[in-house]
This record gives sequence, structure tokens and C-alpha cells, in this order.
Amino acid sequence: MPREELLSPEGLRLDGRRWNNLRTLKLSLRTHPTSSGSALLTSGHTSILCLIHGPSEPSLRSKQQHDRCTITVDLTYAPFSGTDRKRRNRTDKRISELRSVIQRTFSRAVMTHLHPRSEITITLLVLSQDGGVLAGCINAATLALIDAGVPMWGYVAAVTVGWVPGQGGEGEEEGTPVLDVNNAEEGELGVLTLATMGDKGRVILGMLESRVRLEAVEGLMAVAVDSAGKVKDMMDEEVRRHGEAIARAAGVGS
Amino acid sequence: MPKELDPSTNEKNFILESLYAGERLDGRELDAFRPLELEFGEEYGLADVRLGKTRVIARVSAQVVQPFSDRPFDGIFTITTELGPMASPGFEVGRQTEAEVLLARLIEKSIRRSTALDTESLCIVAGQKCWQVRADVHFLNHDGNMVDAACIAVVAALQHFRRPDVSIEGETVTVHSMTERVPVPLSILHVPICEGDGGDEANVVTLIDATLQEEQLRDGDMTVTMNKHGEVCQISKAGGVPLDPIAMHRDMNLAFVKVKEITAFIAKRLKEDEEKRVKRDNLLESKAENER
Repeated sequence: MPREELLSPEGLRLDGRRWNNLRTLKLSLRTHPTSSGSALLTSGHTSILCLIHGPSEPSLRSKQQHDRCTITVDLTYAPFSGTDRKRRNRTDKRISELRSVIQRTFSRAVMTHLHPRSEITITLLVLSQDGGVLAGCINAATLALIDAGVPMWGYVAAVTVGWVPGQGGEGEEEGTPVLDVNNAEEGELGVLTLATMGDKGRVILGMLESRVRLEAVEGLMAVAVDSAGKVKDMMDEEVRRHGEAIARAAGVGS
Repeated sequence: MPKELDPSTNEKNFILESLYAGERLDGRELDAFRPLELEFGEEYGLADVRLGKTRVIARVSAQVVQPFSDRPFDGIFTITTELGPMASPGFEVGRQTEAEVLLARLIEKSIRRSTALDTESLCIVAGQKCWQVRADVHFLNHDGNMVDAACIAVVAALQHFRRPDVSIEGETVTVHSMTERVPVPLSILHVPICEGDGGDEANVVTLIDATLQEEQLRDGDMTVTMNKHGEVCQISKAGGVPLDPIAMHRDMNLAFVKVKEITAFIAKRLKEDEEKRVKRDNLLESKAENER
């Protein structure tokens, strides 16, 4: 697809959004009461379910660490999640990379020293994919960990930002960032996935996989850090709403 | 599984405290590379890279195969990396640890996914014959920063490599031997170079080109791949100490300076090697680009 079609002259994207619009983000906590914590995240057509088990005794003795808990991540793409029905192998390089990226991120974000010799399992199931899967996984896992009552240093909030290069004409802008890319955009553009931890907008995860000019990266990061803050606020709102609902059901609080 | 020994508490405290004071164990500046050495082999496409004590050999080879049915106009380019006990006793044969998967993916993303090699130029007959270029990366010694060393080795080996010339007459494809016709260099679109940064604990100290000990003690790392045109091919920071975005951008600019230095260094070594070859084999003025 030619690049100009990704962003119309009026500045509208394929799905009618402007460059700085997020897709509708639906968050729900405690969708699966049998697990320690769970969350369902839907962002446009991307939907991801996350279940937390633990802290519990490690499934393997070798996973035991004497001074902290081990985070294990299990990531599965449902065969029906994409446009073609396809069963993805668990040993797929791309999946095992994503898994270890998520694992490293949460090993840092969770206060692991509070649960020595234990294991926390993050199970992620991608129900439908339409761009921004890694960001969705991170956000869903954050919510599910909060639901499970696992202590963390702060919210980990992730967004994706793509870069639409300009046409290179005189006096024209070099390009435009587009926030929260969908599948069609993700395939064409250089996309940065960025996650911040806490309130100060410090970057805990950054992944860029295609060629982008160095000057553009600065703009991409600025947009991403800013929007990650907004996503964090949305997550915080949902967590508080959920907490109040529980308190009300138990007959405490306002 | 044999595990890499962690540095002792004394070593750890010593290294960290000297880092906070701005000193590294080997006397380097915080933003300095270890001495980089690059040698080419007798044959085309063999590069031997030494970065301090880290040593990596990359071997590029090519063979004629059938292209993938979904990409009939593209040749095939694969990079294989294998970490064995030769590099460090912590690596086992045939069992990939998570760190190895990440390392292999990083090199692959840096070079293959950023389309450094023009795979379309490897096509011989659409849908039937194409070149498969294969880069085998051998890690000989592990003293930290394997990504950079491997990336430099692969990129240098790709630029050094010459594939046999091919001529097509009707249905028959002839592969000419190296002595019959001057071999053809691969068309490299850009030269990506990785930069590994290691951050260290609470008040962040940023290091370039960490040694093994520094790698074991670090609290996070970021790898940026760029080419000399100022394009970022890949950024990878997975977990680790949360960084200020402004600091991240400063690191990227620093990486760009280093990338230009390394690219120039590789180009210089390639030219020296070329001159040596011309003298040795009497290849004067014979280039694949020349008219025949």
C-alpha cells in the first residue's frame, strides 16, 4: 500500500482517526475469578487476555531464586487471532522474543524481592491481533498484576507510535507520527513500541524494528512518552473504579 | 547446566564504586570502545573481529537454491548464530537459552530485517533459481558485547564477500568459477552497526561496549543499530533500569558518532585488504563492474 494512502491529505488515517487518536481502549479487571488476577484488554480490534497465577511455589526447582521471585511469561496467539487461521508454534522465534521482552520488563517492574523463592506466572492469550500486540500485552499484564495484588514499583504503560515519512517536497515537514498503529500501518511503517514505568515518564521498554531517521526518533519518543502517560491515567481510572465496585459490594467505602 | 560464575561481592562493590567515580576497570573512558581489530581471511567473505578479548568470526557463503514460492523474485539470506562452550563455559550446545534467542534475534533484526542486503539482486531466474547467502557467526570468546562484535563481523564479511558470476543463455544457467570470471560483490544497501549500552544501578551510569563483568553487574541495557546515513535500524531496550527519554536520545546521538567511526574503520580495512589482494593475485583493474 502506498504511503500516501496511510495518511490522507486531510490528515486522516485508514480508519478515520487523526494522528494523535488512540483507538477505543476497553479495560476490564477480574474477568476470570479462578486465577489470582486477570484482565481483558481491547484496543480497537486487538484483544488480549491476561491471567496471573501466583506468587506460588515454582513449577521447577531450577526456577527458584533465593532472594527474589521468578517471573514466567507464557504467550500464546490464538489460531483464530489473525486474518488467516494459523496455528503458531510456541517455539516461534518472534513469540519467544516477545515473551522474554515481557518477562524482563516485569522482572524489573514487580517488587520481586518481596516474594523470595516463589514464581509468578503471567499467561497472555492474544485473542485477536490488529497491531500493537506487544503494547497490549504489557498493559493487560500490568492490570492483571494489580488485580492479583502483586506489589509493583509503578504502572507500566505501553503504546505504539508509527512514523509516516513526508513526501520530501520543499518546505514540507519531514513526516508525521501516528499513534496506536493498526495492522495495516504496522506492516508499512517504522513502529516504535515504548513502555514507561511510574509517573515520571521513564522508559522501561523501547522496541523499534524498522528503519527510521534519527531525527524522527526524537519526535516518536516524545509522542510515545506523552501518550503512555495518558494510557496510564486510563488504567488507573479503571483500577480505581474496579476497586470501588468491590468495596461497595463488600459494604465498605462510599 | 553449567552456569556462568557471578562476580564476587568484593568484585561487584569494587567495579560499581569505581564506575560511580567515573573509572572503568580497564582504564577506558565510559564512552570508549575497546581496541577493535578486523582481519579478513584468505578467501572472500571471512571476517575475524576482536573487540578486546571478545572474538567473533563470520563466514559468508553462497549457493544456488530454489527461492521461496511466496517470494519468487527474492534471494534468500540467512544468519545463523551458535553459541558453544568455546565462547564461554556457560553456553551449552544444542540448547538455546533465552539470552541466546535474544542475541540471535537482535543480530537478525539489525542486519536482515533492516534489508542491509538487497535480496532482489540475488535472483537468477524468477521462481526457479536464486542465490542463498548464508552468514555463519562463530563466537570464539565471550568477554561481553557479543552483539556489536557479531554485527561488525557479519557486515564486514558481507562487504568482503564475492559471489561467482552467473550467465544465463535461454534455459541454461552457468555458474562461472572464481578464476574464470571476476566474482561479483554483493549489493549492500546500507551498513548497520550495533551499539550496546549498559546502564548501571541506582544513579545511572551509561557505559558503551561493556565487558563480561560489567554485563553481569549491569541493571539494564539498550542496543541501538544505526547506519552512517543517520537511520536507526533497530532499538531494543527490554526491561532494565527505567531511563529518562532525554538520556536515551543523548545515548543514541553518541551511538551515531561511534557508528560513523566504525563504518569508516571497516571501509579502511576493506580497502587495505583489496590492495593486498590486487598485489598478490595480479588482479589489477579487473572488477566485476568493468565491461567485458
